[in-house]
Amino acid sequence: MRIGRSQRFDQARPFVVLGIAIAVWLAAPIAFKSLARASFFEMTAPMTFAASHAEDLQRFWSLRLHSKDELIEAGRDQARLNAKYATAVQQNDELHREVERLQGLLKMPADERFRFEHAQVAERDFSGWWQRMTIRKGADYGIPVGAPVVYSGGVVGRVAEVHAFTSVVQLTSDPGLRIAAVVDGDTRPISYQGAENQVFGAPKGTIEFVPLDVYASASAPKRLATSGLGGVYPPGLTIGEINHVESSADGLFKTGEVVLDPRLAELTEVTVLVSLEAQ
Amino acid sequence: MRGAAVLFVTLYLLRALVAELNTALSGFHLWVFAGGLFVTYAALAMPFRSGFAASVLGGFLCDAMTPVAFGTHALLFGIAHVVVFNVRERLQREETGVRVIVALLVNLGLYLIISFTRIRHGYGNPATWPRMAADLTWSEAVIAVVAPWFFALQLRMLEMARANPQRSA
Repeated sequence: MRIGRSQRFDQARPFVVLGIAIAVWLAAPIAFKSLARASFFEMTAPMTFAASHAEDLQRFWSLRLHSKDELIEAGRDQARLNAKYATAVQQNDELHREVERLQGLLKMPADERFRFEHAQVAERDFSGWWQRMTIRKGADYGIPVGAPVVYSGGVVGRVAEVHAFTSVVQLTSDPGLRIAAVVDGDTRPISYQGAENQVFGAPKGTIEFVPLDVYASASAPKRLATSGLGGVYPPGLTIGEINHVESSADGLFKTGEVVLDPRLAELTEVTVLVSLEAQ
Repeated sequence: MRGAAVLFVTLYLLRALVAELNTALSGFHLWVFAGGLFVTYAALAMPFRSGFAASVLGGFLCDAMTPVAFGTHALLFGIAHVVVFNVRERLQREETGVRVIVALLVNLGLYLIISFTRIRHGYGNPATWPRMAADLTWSEAVIAVVAPWFFALQLRMLEMARANPQRSA
């Protein structure tokens, strides 16, 4: 009888241990859990960094395989681009001065200013549940949580977590991300949200509360840009292209589909906009 | 607990490799979930205490890198570990094929539970199921290929650290 009980307890022991572990975890203070999360994340950071630097090295050696003729050609193209950008920078400075002069005359509040923090992408995590990437800059470069992240094609997303040397960016294709947006040429705000991303397809999002007089189709898409409302993203940054709208169930607004830039899933470098006012 | 520490090192390496694979596959919108590999060897081959500790620590490692409540993976890995540990005497657990099948089944169960958890919290809708089915199929295929190598790596690491319970017994 005693042996039978002992055997039964031996069989149940793993479940008892599991129950105790769950009870201890539930009773643990939030501060302890936060500390544990941060510690485990930082534990993985060296490996993330090492893999990212190994990729840099791989790229460097593959570039060294190019012939001198190719390098001369690339240098010439680069010089032309630099000359073009130098002119654009001068024009931009001139326009900025003009905007400031007009804002002064009209006593308008100054635009929010940002510091541009360029960062390399170390990891991309594009599951059906979430869409995130890890960049190689964090608290060491003063990156704040919630800062907008952009690239040459428009909005990448926003900084969701900041760690000592890395940050996690939640992408515009993430189903959990919402942005106040406007259709190009319109000032009425609409709501954008990341959507499902099918295999081998372009990343997508959805829009809601679209005014009834807005039309878009695959043959005549409309550009969707940030509205500047909400204070996270500066206005006018491209989110994607609206290629379909239809009346919502209540008939008061339209809903639609937004196709995002396919480059979003292959980015290697992004720019974080760090608000100077917040600093 | 030397065995738990050694297994944790292998799980740390596995997480890094899976992260690299997912980075490479991001352009195709494919994603690999390898939760089954975090649990199987520890549950089938290790004594309960050290195996359970390794599985739960591996879960915390996954939790830290994902936007889920901290402890979700650890809890699920812990439950999976206890279930597999309890049935392991009925399995030919020394056979690599059996271990691979257990890893595939555990991975399937964990993936489905996490999917339902995400949907319950408002993420995803019926349109996301084809993507999740594709990710799951792809994950199972990767695990079927990688599992024998990973189990061999875990065994070698345990032997190098003189923490293999079979050898010491």
